[in-house]
Amino acid sequence: MAMKVIALAGNPNVGKTTIFNALTGMHQHVGNWPGVTVEKKEGVFEYGGERFLVVDLPGTYSLTAHSIDELVARNFLLNGNPDVVVNVVDATSILRNLYLTMEIFEMGLKNIVIALNKIDLAEKKGIRIDVGKMSKVLGVPVVPLSAKKGEGLGELKEAIIRVAHGEVEENPIIPHYDPEVEREIEHISRVLEGTKLASKYPLRWLAIKLLQRDEEVIKLVERYLGKEGLESVMTHINEVEERYGKAMDLVIAGQKYEFIDGLTHEFMSYGQASGDVLADQLDRLLIHPVYGFIAMAIVFYGVFKFVFAFGLPLQNWLAEAFTLFGNWLAPHIANQALRGLIVDGIIGGVGMVLSFFPLVFLLFFALSFLEDFGYMARVAVLMEGILRKFGLPGKSIIPLILGLGCNVPAVMSTRTLDDEKDRLVTMFVNPFIPCSARLSVISFLSAIFFGKDSALVAASIYVLAFAVALGSAWLVSRFVSGESSPFVIELPEYLIPSGKSLLVHSWERSKEFVQKAGTVILLGAIFIWYLSNYPAPVGTGRSYAEQIGHFFEPYMRLMGLDWRAAVSLLFGIIAKENVISTLGVIYGSPEAIRDAMTPLQGYVLMAVTTLYIPCIATIGAIKAESNWKWAALTTAYMITVASIIGILIWHLGIALGW
Amino acid sequence: MDMIVPLSELKPGESAVVVDIAGGSGLRSRLYAMGVAPGVIIRVLEKYQFGPVVVEAGGTRLAVGKGMSAKILVRRL
Repeated sequence: MAMKVIALAGNPNVGKTTIFNALTGMHQHVGNWPGVTVEKKEGVFEYGGERFLVVDLPGTYSLTAHSIDELVARNFLLNGNPDVVVNVVDATSILRNLYLTMEIFEMGLKNIVIALNKIDLAEKKGIRIDVGKMSKVLGVPVVPLSAKKGEGLGELKEAIIRVAHGEVEENPIIPHYDPEVEREIEHISRVLEGTKLASKYPLRWLAIKLLQRDEEVIKLVERYLGKEGLESVMTHINEVEERYGKAMDLVIAGQKYEFIDGLTHEFMSYGQASGDVLADQLDRLLIHPVYGFIAMAIVFYGVFKFVFAFGLPLQNWLAEAFTLFGNWLAPHIANQALRGLIVDGIIGGVGMVLSFFPLVFLLFFALSFLEDFGYMARVAVLMEGILRKFGLPGKSIIPLILGLGCNVPAVMSTRTLDDEKDRLVTMFVNPFIPCSARLSVISFLSAIFFGKDSALVAASIYVLAFAVALGSAWLVSRFVSGESSPFVIELPEYLIPSGKSLLVHSWERSKEFVQKAGTVILLGAIFIWYLSNYPAPVGTGRSYAEQIGHFFEPYMRLMGLDWRAAVSLLFGIIAKENVISTLGVIYGSPEAIRDAMTPLQGYVLMAVTTLYIPCIATIGAIKAESNWKWAALTTAYMITVASIIGILIWHLGIALGW
Repeated sequence: MDMIVPLSELKPGESAVVVDIAGGSGLRSRLYAMGVAPGVIIRVLEKYQFGPVVVEAGGTRLAVGKGMSAKILVRRL
């Protein structure tokens, strides 16, 4: 027998994830909804020997057709036939939360459980809720709980089971509107009645959505009733709106809130509130145009310290362990080609993937903490004004800063952005931000070529990189379709997150990185190994790598560089620090590099190394977060930009007589 | 007293009733879902020269972009 399906629906920041974790424990699977890059989380919930599949729907405020997240949630509720729908409601902001609840009720579902979360916080705020009455008024079971403290979870599970077994007679209350609006709903319902469309979707829901001019429902009507059928309905709606002098969606939303307000009076009252003075003060500090930036600098410095102080030693240790393992294994493999493939290609590649794991894990841990604590929303508010000018949302400051450490987790952190368009643009420009590997190349080259002035020169490369990143964001955001969201963001309550949920969350995310980006990195490592060992190893002048270098020599000449730079850059694709080690192998010593190149050539090489291509791990991450096409486009764009800038710097330098 | 003004005109501490939202349907539906709809009472908590307006609506704190706050029409309470 197929497992029964439980769908979790609710607003963002209501503790949906905590409830999901509590139900499923570690039995989770993170993937994507088909065809879109919206995260799909599934898990198994066991109770009394029975197993249920729990599907965590994207957290949304409503179920319109305006965002992919909302469409995904809505389509699952309409077509996914969940056996139970658990609607998580935040007891501290019932009015707004019930807006989504009413949209779910309007879909005609009759297998709903309301998980009234944060009931302890509501009490503290002086909000008194008569749960029994609320359940009676809404017509569905309501279970009060505090998921964070683990209170009420047993009752929630029991309620889910009862609904799943059909033991509860539900009668969800449906919002009623003014008689005039009701008349229009009825009119449209009569037009649609009896059509094939009406047998697939709830009639009243269709009518209301049409009045709200929902794009997806309009498409449905056109498909089932034809152009003329749609036109007659829309003409009617136009007339209605003309009569009202207002858009119907405005009227409906207002009346829905009025209806909800009326309901809440029956089961909710406000007592003496112990005002949230601390939150007010914290908000005043964190989004203040001056202190806010200082606070942000301190917070992200702390995140960096945390991630790299613990992560880098672990990364080096893991990389070392894999090298040792490879060295130990090598003599045991007789066939030379096979040995190279296994030791340098496969073990080297897997080692690299896994050595990223500690960094990625710690970073997600720190980010989840900031997100759950409520800080990310405040940073977004702080940065919105500045970054929006470059076509980026305020929240994209997080991936941009993280990129200074490593672009791989930075690219993965773009999923905290709400819009597809924002995600794509932020991901696209992220590899321009110089990561710590490129910092080592920049500081090495600037030290040998510029001595005393090396810090200033290195800083100029960073300025160049950020300018290119922001300029590219400005450019690319013009071409990516999709409306970026108007800026309104919830400032959630400050909360100290539970350690367990942070661990589960970071573990899932970093595991996913290994699974998704891993293959790309491994294939890349094997490919580069092949190029540098066939038909003869690097150093003989006959390897494919060197042949490629010579092939690109004329191109490199345009920016004053030669085949040696081309080979170094080729190996830098695996990991940027390889640029130095390859130059070292080819030239023999830092002095030899200085003698062979002018400072201008050194500067061009620094600039090009910083901008030329994402490393394969980053390409893997971009592919994992979007698709192959986008990863390829990013790569091609970076090569183009780096070439143009390299050529410009070289010729400008020559003209100025450097 | 009965004047209708954009939200961006209010000062911190002032409360108002939302009357109308002058914007595209995407903007409107997003605001409704987050608790800003006709008839809802909102209170301004913070406001900065170039930044967003921070308001409280339906028990939640929201930060509304400067451009957007000019499109939300309210009646002062």
